[in-house]
Amino acid sequence: MTIQIFLTSMLGLVGVLVGAQQTTSRLVRVSILAVLAFGMFLVWAPETTNRLAGALGVGRGADLILYLWVVITLALILFLYLKILRLARRITQLTRALALTQPMRPEGPGHRP
Amino acid sequence: MMQPVSEVRTWVVVPAFREGSAIRQTLADLLPRFPNVLVVDDGSDDDTASQALAAGATVIRHPLNLGQGAAIQTGITFALAQGAETVATFDADGQHHADDLVRMRDELLRSGCDVVIGSRFLGHADGLSPARRLILKLAIVFTNLTTGVRMSDAHNGLRIMTADAARRINICQDRMAHASELVSQIGKLGLSSREMPVTITYSPYSLGKGQKLTNSFRILADLVSGWLLR
Repeated sequence: MTIQIFLTSMLGLVGVLVGAQQTTSRLVRVSILAVLAFGMFLVWAPETTNRLAGALGVGRGADLILYLWVVITLALILFLYLKILRLARRITQLTRALALTQPMRPEGPGHRP
Repeated sequence: MMQPVSEVRTWVVVPAFREGSAIRQTLADLLPRFPNVLVVDDGSDDDTASQALAAGATVIRHPLNLGQGAAIQTGITFALAQGAETVATFDADGQHHADDLVRMRDELLRSGCDVVIGSRFLGHADGLSPARRLILKLAIVFTNLTTGVRMSDAHNGLRIMTADAARRINICQDRMAHASELVSQIGKLGLSSREMPVTITYSPYSLGKGQKLTNSFRILADLVSGWLLR
């Protein structure tokens, strides 16, 4: 019973945080909330995962959750990596724009060693 | 009416990172033949910028170190804004020779090509170790396979292009993968290019600053990331 309460409150907390995110699109928010709600349902009806796992050809429900977790984590890492790359491009553009405003000229023609 | 070669306005872009000890020598070779030289100091923590300025080059400083590709793109943008008719790139460490660039500019204007790229394998590579030669050859095979443009030397920093080509090329690879990216864009944009033999003089200094085998994997990773972003 303790673990169910703990997991439910953690999922609920994440749900509140996601729901409050005004910057992410509504579609993304609703999808995440749906996944969280499904997670809560599985916390209170754990046998469901076993039935699902059986239907999909995986031995145990816990294994199914683990596999899904791995796939989701990898997708998240890729997503974040691409986000970092896009951010790096913007930093480059910003740095370039800044650099171009301050060219330093040599002290007149003929100033050569 | 073709302009006399000497009147064509060429800007030479020299990307430089921590080249304080070599940049003067490089500019002493370059400036007598090309009065418009831009050194892009890529966030060096040494006296690269002041040395270049004292030698008579125009200098732009990146507040952060971004990489050679980013420095070259910054330089091209600046050169075009200055009304350059041809834009060249030239390494800061002294491995290139200004005389080669003069010949390449003549060839660019004479042939009507969009881009002329130097090739050390058509010319001379003095002091090139077998291991480095192998890495460079592998890079060439890779670039030829992925870009569809045939080159004998894909990673040569000595190039010259028309302003029109420079305007169309957009280097997004901040670090060393820009060389492959550039060849790839030449292919995609349908620019005409040709190679010319040039001499690369490897000194212990330039070899110390050069690319190592481990960097090739990074270049590969950068290229794959670039494809993902597109």
